[in-house]
Amino acid sequence: MKLRRDIGFHAVAGTLSILWLLPIALVLLTAIRTFDDIASNGLGAMPSSFSLDSFGAAWHAGGQSRAMVNSLLVTVPTVVLSLALAAAAAFALSRYDIPFRRAIILLMLAGNLLPPQILLVPVSKLSELLGIYDTLPALIAVQVGFGLGFYTFVLQGFMWAIPDEIQQAATIDGAGVVTIFWRIILPMTRPALAALSALAFTWIFNDLLWAITVLRTGTVMPVTPALLGLQGQYVSNWNVIAAGSVIAAIPTVAVFLRFQKHFISGLAVGAVK
Amino acid sequence: MSQRSDAGLSRRRFLRNAGLAGLGVVGAGPLLNACATSASSGPVTQTGGAVTVQSNLSAPAAKSAIDALVTAFNDRGGASASVNTVASETFRTQLPSYLTSANPPDTYTWYPGSLLSGYAEKGLLLDVGDVWQTMGDYSEAFRTLSSDGKGKQIFVPTTYYWWGMFYRKSKFAEWGVTPPANWTEFLALCRTLQGKGIAPIGLGAGGNTPWIASGWFDYLDIRINGAQFHRDLLAGRKRFDDPKVKQVFATWMEALPYFDPSGTAVAFQDATTSLLQGRTGMLLIGAFFADSAPKDALGDIDFFQFPIVDPAVPVAEEGPTDGFFASARTPRKAEVAEFLTYAATAEGQDVYIKASTGTVLPTNPGAKDSGTGLVTKGRKLLQDAKELTQFFNRDSSDALQPTADSALVRFIQNPNEVDSILTDWQSAAEKIWNA
Repeated sequence: MKLRRDIGFHAVAGTLSILWLLPIALVLLTAIRTFDDIASNGLGAMPSSFSLDSFGAAWHAGGQSRAMVNSLLVTVPTVVLSLALAAAAAFALSRYDIPFRRAIILLMLAGNLLPPQILLVPVSKLSELLGIYDTLPALIAVQVGFGLGFYTFVLQGFMWAIPDEIQQAATIDGAGVVTIFWRIILPMTRPALAALSALAFTWIFNDLLWAITVLRTGTVMPVTPALLGLQGQYVSNWNVIAAGSVIAAIPTVAVFLRFQKHFISGLAVGAVK
Repeated sequence: MSQRSDAGLSRRRFLRNAGLAGLGVVGAGPLLNACATSASSGPVTQTGGAVTVQSNLSAPAAKSAIDALVTAFNDRGGASASVNTVASETFRTQLPSYLTSANPPDTYTWYPGSLLSGYAEKGLLLDVGDVWQTMGDYSEAFRTLSSDGKGKQIFVPTTYYWWGMFYRKSKFAEWGVTPPANWTEFLALCRTLQGKGIAPIGLGAGGNTPWIASGWFDYLDIRINGAQFHRDLLAGRKRFDDPKVKQVFATWMEALPYFDPSGTAVAFQDATTSLLQGRTGMLLIGAFFADSAPKDALGDIDFFQFPIVDPAVPVAEEGPTDGFFASARTPRKAEVAEFLTYAATAEGQDVYIKASTGTVLPTNPGAKDSGTGLVTKGRKLLQDAKELTQFFNRDSSDALQPTADSALVRFIQNPNEVDSILTDWQSAAEKIWNA
C-alpha cells in the first residue's frame, strides 16, 4: 500500500517537475544554437549546431555587461534602503502604541492593493519635475517607495510576535529605544529580514515596468529592458535573447540558492500574529 | 495593548529617542543615494552638447548601421551626436512621454504618417524646412510624405524598402515553376504547388505579428481599387463596407484555399523558416525578411512583384519609408539640422547602408544601394511604380492597425462571414477616426 502510494507520488511529482523544467530546458537549448540553425530549422527543432557565441553576443554587443552593473546598482541600494526604513517603521508600529497606528498600517496595506500601472504617468512626470528623470536614483526612489508598504507590513507582523518580556528585561537593564531596536529587535527579526531581502532582490531585479517609466537612455537601463532591447523591430535573434535571459537569471538564482532556507520559511513570515 | 504601554517608556523619552532614530534613518538615506548617484553620473547631465538620437533600431544589423552613421558624422568634425537605442516596443509606447518631457531627446528614428502629423499639430515637432533646402534632388513623393499637410516639413526620410512575393530560387527550380505575371497565372501557380503537396502561400500572421496580414489587404486594394482609393479608405473618407472593399475580399477568397493552414498560428519569423525549408512556396513580406534568413540562403532568395489583378489600375507599390524627426523643444536646433542634413546626404546614406544588412534602399537618388541583385530589382520595382503607399499602419495610424488585424485574421479563418466582418471593421474604425 505504502509502496503504491510512493510510486504514485513520484510519478505525479516527476511529471510536474518535467513540465516545470521544460521551458527552461528549451531556453537553454536555444541559447546554444546558432542563428542560422534556428532560422533554417525553426525554433522548435532539435539543435543541429552548438555554439556559445550567443552568450558573448548578449554580454558584449547586447550590452548585458553594462546592464548587469546598472541592475546591481539599483537593486542592492534599494534592498538595503527599503529594508532599513521598513524595519524602523515596523519597530515603531509594532512595539509602541503610537497614535493612528492601525490607520497607518492599513494605509500601507491599501497602498499595496493599488495597481502600480495607474501611477506610471504621475511618477514619470514627478521624477522629471524633481530633475532626477533618466537617472538610477530615480529608479531607486521609486522602488523604495513602492516596496516600503509591503515590507513594513510584513516586518511589523513579525516584530509583533516577539515576546514583550524580552523588551521589558532590556528596558530594566537601561536600554533606550535605539538600543532595543538595534540590539534586541533587529537581531531577532533576522529570519524575516533575510527572507524579505531575497524576495525584494528578485522583485526589483526582475522589474521592467518602472525601469522603462523613469529611464530612457540605453546606458542606464537595467537588465530587463536591455533584454527587451535584444528583440529587433522585425527580426529577433532568439539564440542571443535566450542566452541573455540565462545570464539575467544568474543573480536571482544565486540569491535564491544562498537564501533558500529563509526564502521558504519566509513564505510564512507575518502570517501568524 | 495595555501590556505594550507598560513595556514602553515615558512618552517624552520615547519621542526623543524616536526622533533620534528618525534622524539616523534620514541621515542614511542621502548617503546611500549619494553613493548611487556618483556611481551612475554619466547620463545625469546632458553630455557636452551632443545631439541625442533616440533610436528604435534594436536589431543588431540595424543598430550597427545607425552607430556607423553617427560615428561618421562625429568624425567629420562640427557638431557631434550620440545614439541611444531602446527596444522598438518600448520606444513606440514611450514616444509620447519622450516628446512631452521637459528635456526631450533631440531627434528620433521613425516613419512619416498620421502619428507625426498629430504631434506636429500639438507643436511638438521641429520644422526641418531648412534641412529640406539641401535636399533639392529628392523626389516630390518624399517631400509630400514628409510634410505635416499644412506646408511644414517635419520629417527627413533616409531609407525605404519594398514588399514583394519572396521565394527560394532553388525550390522554384525543383518544382519546375516560374514567377507569374498576373493574378490568373498566380492562381495557376498556387494550384500547381498545392498539387505537389506544398502550402503555396505562407503568411506568418500569428503570435505577435498579426499585422503581416495587412500586406495582403493593402496590395489587393491598391491592385483592384488603386492607391488613391486605398488612402481615402484608410483616412476615413471611404467605408470598409463599401462594395469596392468587398471586391478586394472576393478576390482574396480566390487565393485563400492556397494559404498555409497555420498562417494565422505562427509568427512571421517561423513562417520564414517554413518558406526556407520549402514547406510553403511564397511569402508576401517586406525586404527586412532577408535579415531573418541564414546567410547561406541569402543568395537563393528572390521575389516577384505582387501580381497585377486589373491592368487598368495604375501600378502602385508599398515602399515604407524610414528616417528622422526632431523635437521642437531641442536646445540644439543648429546641431540637429546639421545631423539631419548629413543623414540626408548621399555620403551619410552610403555609410548607413554599408553597415546595415543591405536590404534597405537610400532615399537620396545620388546614394548607392548595396548593389546585390535582390536590391537592384527592389529599387527598380519602386522606381517603376506610378504611386507608392507606405503600409497599413503608416498610411492610417497605429491605432487603426489592431482593427485591421482582428478583421483580417477573422476573415482568413472564417471567410464566409466577410459581410459581418466588414461591418464590424467599419464600426471599430469609426471609433478610432472619431476619437
